[in-house]
Amino acid sequence: MMKRIYIGSTIAFWIAVTAIWAGSLLAPPGQRAVAQSPEPSYTLQEVAAHASAEDCWMAIGAEVYDLTAYLPHHPTPPTVIAPSCGTDATAAYNTKNRGRPHSPYAASLLEKYRIGRLEQAPTP
Amino acid sequence: MRAPLPPVALLAALALAPAVIALPGVPMTLAGAGAWLGWLGSGLIAASLLLMVREPAFAAWFGDLERMYRWHHGMGTLGYAVLLAHPVVLAAASLPEDPAAAWRVLSPAAQSWHTLLAWLALLALMAGLAATFAVRLPYSLWRSLHAMLGIGVLLGLVHTLAIDGVSAKSMLVVAAAVIALGWRATRADRGGGARPYEVSAVQHPAPLTTEVTLRPLAAPITVAPGQFVMAAFFDGPHFRGCGEYHPYTVSAVAPGGTLALGIKALGDCTRNIQSIKTGVAARVQGAYGSFLVDRAEAPELWIAAGIGVTPFLALLRTQPVTRPTDFFYAFRSADSAPYLAELDGLGAAQPHLHTHFLAMQEDTSPLCALLAGVHDLTDREVYMCGPPPLIDAVGDWLRRRGVPPQHIHYERFDFR
Repeated sequence: MMKRIYIGSTIAFWIAVTAIWAGSLLAPPGQRAVAQSPEPSYTLQEVAAHASAEDCWMAIGAEVYDLTAYLPHHPTPPTVIAPSCGTDATAAYNTKNRGRPHSPYAASLLEKYRIGRLEQAPTP
Repeated sequence: MRAPLPPVALLAALALAPAVIALPGVPMTLAGAGAWLGWLGSGLIAASLLLMVREPAFAAWFGDLERMYRWHHGMGTLGYAVLLAHPVVLAAASLPEDPAAAWRVLSPAAQSWHTLLAWLALLALMAGLAATFAVRLPYSLWRSLHAMLGIGVLLGLVHTLAIDGVSAKSMLVVAAAVIALGWRATRADRGGGARPYEVSAVQHPAPLTTEVTLRPLAAPITVAPGQFVMAAFFDGPHFRGCGEYHPYTVSAVAPGGTLALGIKALGDCTRNIQSIKTGVAARVQGAYGSFLVDRAEAPELWIAAGIGVTPFLALLRTQPVTRPTDFFYAFRSADSAPYLAELDGLGAAQPHLHTHFLAMQEDTSPLCALLAGVHDLTDREVYMCGPPPLIDAVGDWLRRRGVPPQHIHYERFDFR
């Protein structure tokens, strides 16, 4: 019985991994870009206008995210995250606990809340 | 053959605890489910590790060591299957919107070092479990590959800490795994929980079988006929022991703690033991098992094959048979059958004991034909000890003949 579970789950795993890999190769290039074009971009000033737990945008790296809907699900209490709303939270995201970055799982969650690119301020 | 409820309940609570602690923080999405499966699999693996410590008192609480190891294998395999689903479900969550992003979740090249660690952990678990199920591998190779499981667990722990940091659930998993691995390495594999003995006599009851008598050098272990011990033999006069702990059924138990082990040459270590000498140092841990212990007061049927005769011999050497007992002893040839003459003498001297000796090969039909002639077969308590194929075949035959499954007790020789 245990041997069957081992063989079955191992085969299913490799089939799934191969299918996901093949899917990434077969997907039309720029699928996301086409679907979301033209992509909106926001300045830090615009991000700063959404600085509360009830309306929470953050810039992380070169992207802007609307995390309002996610805040109630975040493991950390909203009072800890709310100060980052409306700001460039890249540093906080990359050093969430003693310099340790968020996980790939967190990155995959973040994708869902992405609303556009961060418009870099013009160099004086 | 079921394990008692208290240890199973405790084990289930531990296995599910990380997943239960993680639940409030997990979003009700496919990605959330993928992350949660990681905690469920980690909990199952951590709980399974606690079942590999070879502590006699813990094994006795669980029923016996064999039953405990069955749970260890079951929970470990289930945990492995859940851990395989963990990254697949995480990646599948991104699949409908962006197949390339789904692959980036899995790809060891596209993610950080802890994703690479997770891959190495899963591959080590995969290789280690493959070896676990390949029982025909030579023992030394099997043992090395089986150790891959420990490496997989350690890599998985680092991945868990990298993802979650210091949290209640990660500490629970890490503490259970570290305690279990450390306990097993020091108390069992290094013999920290074993008692010192010395080989005081050596006999050769058959060409490939040696009976080693062990005299305790300190407080002896408590052992009953039918039980087995884990024993390792070390260097001594004109003998170099392999120092590995292997299971041996006791063939005699004497007052004062002296015990004897019937050891058949089945692998490199046991072949080496055939040339063992008196004075060799040994360490013994146990005792384990409940075979022939706490028997019901009813007529009995004993079936032994080859070296499987040892638990019955230990019982006969300790006390006379007090209930009607038919003892069938099967072997390949009379020349290679250990203890045949001694058993013949015991059968002649004891009025309740009827011995039946049978030379046969793999086909069990000659044995079953003899068993068909046993008076009141379905009323007997049946005790069998021998190779798994024989136990399976004769067990099936007995059940078809109407012997209730709860009357059939057996000890299989597939313990590693």
